[in-house]
Amino acid sequence: MRHTEEMVLTKIRRLSRRELRLWVRQGWVRPAVGEAGPVFDELDIARLRLLCDLRKEMALPTTAMPVVLNLIDQLYQTRRDLRTLLRALDDQPEDVRSTLAARLRLSDTNDAAEDSD
Amino acid sequence: MNTDPYEILGVPKTATQDEIKKAYRKLAKELHPDLHPDDKAKQERFKEVSAANDLLGDPEKRRRFDAGEIDASGQERPERQYYHHYAGQDAGRRYDPGPGFEGGMDQDDLNDIFSQFFRARAAGAGGGGFRHEVHARGSDMRYHLEVDFLDAARGAKRRVTMPDGNNIEITIPPGVRDGQTLRLRGKGAPGIGGGAAGDALVTVSVGTHPVFARLDDDIEMELPITFDEAVLGAKVDVPTVLGSVSVTIPKGASSGRRLRLRGKGIKGPKGKPGDQIVRLKIVLPKKIDPEMEELAERWRRMAVFDPRAELRRMT
Repeated sequence: MRHTEEMVLTKIRRLSRRELRLWVRQGWVRPAVGEAGPVFDELDIARLRLLCDLRKEMALPTTAMPVVLNLIDQLYQTRRDLRTLLRALDDQPEDVRSTLAARLRLSDTNDAAEDSD
Repeated sequence: MNTDPYEILGVPKTATQDEIKKAYRKLAKELHPDLHPDDKAKQERFKEVSAANDLLGDPEKRRRFDAGEIDASGQERPERQYYHHYAGQDAGRRYDPGPGFEGGMDQDDLNDIFSQFFRARAAGAGGGGFRHEVHARGSDMRYHLEVDFLDAARGAKRRVTMPDGNNIEITIPPGVRDGQTLRLRGKGAPGIGGGAAGDALVTVSVGTHPVFARLDDDIEMELPITFDEAVLGAKVDVPTVLGSVSVTIPKGASSGRRLRLRGKGIKGPKGKPGDQIVRLKIVLPKKIDPEMEELAERWRRMAVFDPRAELRRMT
């Protein structure tokens, strides 16, 4: 589903046109560039709602946003990479997987021991 | 489950709107589902907290709730799709701060993860930056462009409006692939103190086509032919991404037969052009005319050909 700026504003009523344009200019949300202006998809809309939550509901200052967004984007990239890794592990023979599972459980315990210090 | 919105937010019934807002903010920071994509318990609590805030944060709804006019669940609302729902899928890659596994990261170089992390930190996000030099190159800006299948295959020029209101022309090179990034030098953020402007990095999403499918630089398509063309052979016009070409259907061609049109695929920037692979498909008219039927009857009585003989031998 493709949304123009107008459609986005009707959909997310707590978002003003000024904010939307500012956030696009700052690169916080990156819609597709089209001949008649930006084109937003579902990913962009969900991201705009998250931006509204961060800025409005949680009242995060503008200056903190780049840091927060970078951390969030890193989180999702890492999660996708981790899933790729897990899928690759899935294809490994049973003994490799069980060795890894045992190893991961071991490091869990170590972490716990360190935490309690 | 707790259903009292005051208890959920942890405020007394006498709380001011301001106190409610503060309580909600505090909880939202703790519980927002996009900050804890795996924690179902926190996600559930966040839903409750949001619902409680929707009710109590709105003085009118709060009054009606206090007066017993509406219950704690308020009215039905369509379920919101959270960012993590999309960001977890492949499409979310658009917002990655750096190259990940699929972006060509060295498989056996785990250190790359750390170097990426520090690069990302040094660059800041969203073009913010933490640079101290007075003469700095402007930061690179990331954009995303949707290109249809044929434009991607042939190459095209597209005039687009950038977020800063500037109009620029983007040259899409022939054969551009889905997910490929184009670098437009000097079209990023302006430099600081006379430094050069950054680049615009445009990631391209290529659409699909109802007729053509792409496999690297080869194009595949299905070509409907008539019964007589299959039997007698024929010369027919076949569309390719670069226009129509004349193709000889060999005499006695079966459905599923593949013809390779050399060099009629995608002509990328380097190397030899791809081919177009045409899969033949014999199509009969919806209504079979009497002459064709008669011909088939005669042919059947002769019973000279059994296409399933092979099948029987092998099973």
